[in-house]
Amino acid sequence: MTHKERVVPTIRVGDCLLVPIQIDLDDKTVEQLQAQLLAEIQEQRVRAVILDVRMVEVIDSYISYTLSETAAMARLMGCRTVICGIRPPVALTLAQMGIELQGFLVARDLEHALTLV
Amino acid sequence: MEGKVRELLDIPANDFDVVVRIAREEDIAVARQMAKQLAQELGFSLADVTKVATAVSELARNIYRYAQTGKIMIRKRLEENGGPTIEVVAVDHGPGIEDVDLVLTKGYTTYERSLGIGLSGIRRLMDSFEIASEVGTGTVVRVEKRRRRF
Repeated sequence: MTHKERVVPTIRVGDCLLVPIQIDLDDKTVEQLQAQLLAEIQEQRVRAVILDVRMVEVIDSYISYTLSETAAMARLMGCRTVICGIRPPVALTLAQMGIELQGFLVARDLEHALTLV
Repeated sequence: MEGKVRELLDIPANDFDVVVRIAREEDIAVARQMAKQLAQELGFSLADVTKVATAVSELARNIYRYAQTGKIMIRKRLEENGGPTIEVVAVDHGPGIEDVDLVLTKGYTTYERSLGIGLSGIRRLMDSFEIASEVGTGTVVRVEKRRRRF
């Protein structure tokens, strides 16, 4: 995968792929991110993807849907997905809307995430 | 219902602080940013800023998905008994909704990549929620959020 196709720079840590999301996720970006992660899982043969969403200010129903779908796809490729760093207002909003993030392990922060994979 | 839709469809855009035309996918994020900014200007808590921005994101996406084009109008209202309030009106002249009660049901969706949570979720995030729709005319959703005192 060329650098240009990456919407989010990723970091390889052991056999995990660390994905710090530091941009506003719009619909197109989250779809590109999904494609990027699936390609990287295959190319880099990682056994886990850690999505750090600490910097993400809004996670709405479509972003949730796409992230959960990505986790389900990763699982089919033999890779687990951990999401960490959901901000309190985002957690509140998701809970109030009744959105359950499925397919993920959820961790408090990066340190916690690394203990789960 | 019919009169109500037309009346709401004709709310003058000039009365609003911000009008975001929704025609491309990127406009969803623009609407979200504008809502966030106005809620911040009104002194909303971070939790409520996030709720308003998320609700606007859902409203804008609904327009883009089902009507292709439309607009999100946002205004700050200060002289209300309930305190500073943000009001959002989402307007489109799209196909309209046949059964409004049905689309408000959590989990109902006609779109394949969707949780079916948009409208029911918006209603839960905001203080007031009003929807009027007519097949062939369009859809208007009006929502409000008041600033909380802590």
